Amino acid sequence: MNFMTTITTTTIVKRRKKKSQFVMVWERLKQNRLAVAGLVILSVIVLAAIFANLLFDYEAMAVRQNASIRLNPPSSEHWLGTDEVGRDILARIVFGARISLPVAFATILIAAVIGGLLGAIAGYGSRTADNIIMRIMDMFLAIPSTLLAIAIVATLGSSIRNLLIAIAVSNIPPFARIIRSSVITIRNEEFIEAAQAIGANDRRIIFKHILPNAMAPMIVQATMCIAGSVLSIASLSFLGLGIQPPTPEWGSMLSNGRQYIRVAWWVCTFPGIAIMLTILSLNLLGDGLRDALDPKLKN
Amino acid sequence: MENLLEIKNLTVEYHTQGEIVHAVNGLSLNLRQGESLGLVGETGAGKTTTALSILQLVADPPGKIMGGEIFFDGVDLLKTKKSLLRSVRGNKISMIFQDPMTSLNPVYSVGFQIAEVIQLHENCSKEEARRKAEEMLEMVGIPKERYEEYPHQFSGGMKQRVVIAMSVACSPQIILADEPTTALDVTIQAQVLELMNDLKEKLHTSLLLITHDLGVVAQVCDRVAIMYSGEIVEQGTIPEVFDHPAHPYTIGLFGSIPTLSMESTKLTPIEGQMPDPTELPAGCNFSPRCPYARAECHSKKPGVTRIPGEATHELRCFALGWEQPDETLMEVIKRGR
Repeated sequence: MNFMTTITTTTIVKRRKKKSQFVMVWERLKQNRLAVAGLVILSVIVLAAIFANLLFDYEAMAVRQNASIRLNPPSSEHWLGTDEVGRDILARIVFGARISLPVAFATILIAAVIGGLLGAIAGYGSRTADNIIMRIMDMFLAIPSTLLAIAIVATLGSSIRNLLIAIAVSNIPPFARIIRSSVITIRNEEFIEAAQAIGANDRRIIFKHILPNAMAPMIVQATMCIAGSVLSIASLSFLGLGIQPPTPEWGSMLSNGRQYIRVAWWVCTFPGIAIMLTILSLNLLGDGLRDALDPKLKN
Repeated sequence: MENLLEIKNLTVEYHTQGEIVHAVNGLSLNLRQGESLGLVGETGAGKTTTALSILQLVADPPGKIMGGEIFFDGVDLLKTKKSLLRSVRGNKISMIFQDPMTSLNPVYSVGFQIAEVIQLHENCSKEEARRKAEEMLEMVGIPKERYEEYPHQFSGGMKQRVVIAMSVACSPQIILADEPTTALDVTIQAQVLELMNDLKEKLHTSLLLITHDLGVVAQVCDRVAIMYSGEIVEQGTIPEVFDHPAHPYTIGLFGSIPTLSMESTKLTPIEGQMPDPTELPAGCNFSPRCPYARAECHSKKPGVTRIPGEATHELRCFALGWEQPDETLMEVIKRGR
């Protein structure tokens, strides 16, 4: 009996303690080991990119060519070996993250905001608005996204800004589609009618009632899109349309290393692993985040 | 007493591929201050559409309000600006939906959702809205410690209490309750009805209760309006309609209620089906099913007549009118009650 009362009092006390949304999401995210693993890997990459200047001398290790140490295998001096002109691969990967990650995050931010907005308008607005927006999106979807990005960069010229625009534009249509379809499902729910009945205006209904409910597919799409965007940057650079040498970038490193794969596997393997790890960690984190944000799984 | 809400000749249609569904056909209805009116009718009679039209929530497309006037506080709600309408919704007229399971947003805590209504309509700080929302929760019998909990942590009856708390949060003048107890089991139903009755007395709000349960109407309402394919066929005070039902449809409704005192193996339904709302009959809408239908019933639409000797009892029928129904019929009614 005594035991029972202790239990009830503790649960009541627990209930009274108010936790912020952020703390609650974090606590639930911690439960998911894979998500934590993803977070750790991503943090290491991000921290390395931020403190790259302290770790390596950009000029000396990542840019300057040194023919005497070309294509050296991994050693204690150059942990991941050197490339065809004697630059340290680890240093180039770390500095390469400074390009790939911000560009990738910026593109999904742009694509998610614009695509989400267009999708929400198409899903919630009139049939005409829906038709106009979605037919334009269909036109973009009909062109393979890499091809579209190539076309945009080729027209605008290759610079980081144009690269960003190109990848963002090619990522807008899938976002718009996904948000539109979940908005259409959610707007027919009774709680949206209830929100109208309490006098909420359209903007409030879209942003406060519909979009939070459409968060799960949005987050999944966003993490896949970051990963895809890292790949797009890499592929554009691989084709020579992205980041221009000698600036280190993962895709261009892959591209350069591919001709030496038989004699020096490390030149293209390690940038590839870097891309893979980034994408993997983002996917794991995104999956965990989606679960953690779902209120039904709370407690 | 003055009419708080006055619906005149409301006509609502749903336009779907090539077909026009006549959901509400020239409906007129009054609701006075502090009064509760039961709107009774079978599925598809247009009860919900009527309630939704009052707040202009009929989904367009496919729904279209074709004509009529809805006066609230001297203003025609059908002709007002959207912004004014929004200030009425949830504030002066609020609505309780049929299914509490789906009428709460799953991603917000219940307390937040009550506070949202308060914040939308009253100029107050977040803390104040929160405090008021907690008060509301307590008022409907939910401890305020559960403020932070989410809809999925509540049972159906509790959710409906939350919905009720939301609807009374801004002390509205009218509550439109669209079958508030249909999704709940009988014991919870009784609790919710009692709660609504209490709140109504306390806050002096008018109530439009939509239901197909005559028992609920008798328990909660002062007046009742019987609806059949988009029209009010009979209305009056509870004693008027329950003691002297005059429209054949109303009589049939009472007749179909099984009684505890009589043993019966089969229910006594009203023969036939509601007319197809895309093709309403030329005459009285009930004439195809009416056992008393005369020739004129099939060709002309009956108007509304007041039954002499009764203060508010109104009827839309040629056949029976105020003539005394025959004995066997009265028997059926008595048995039915």
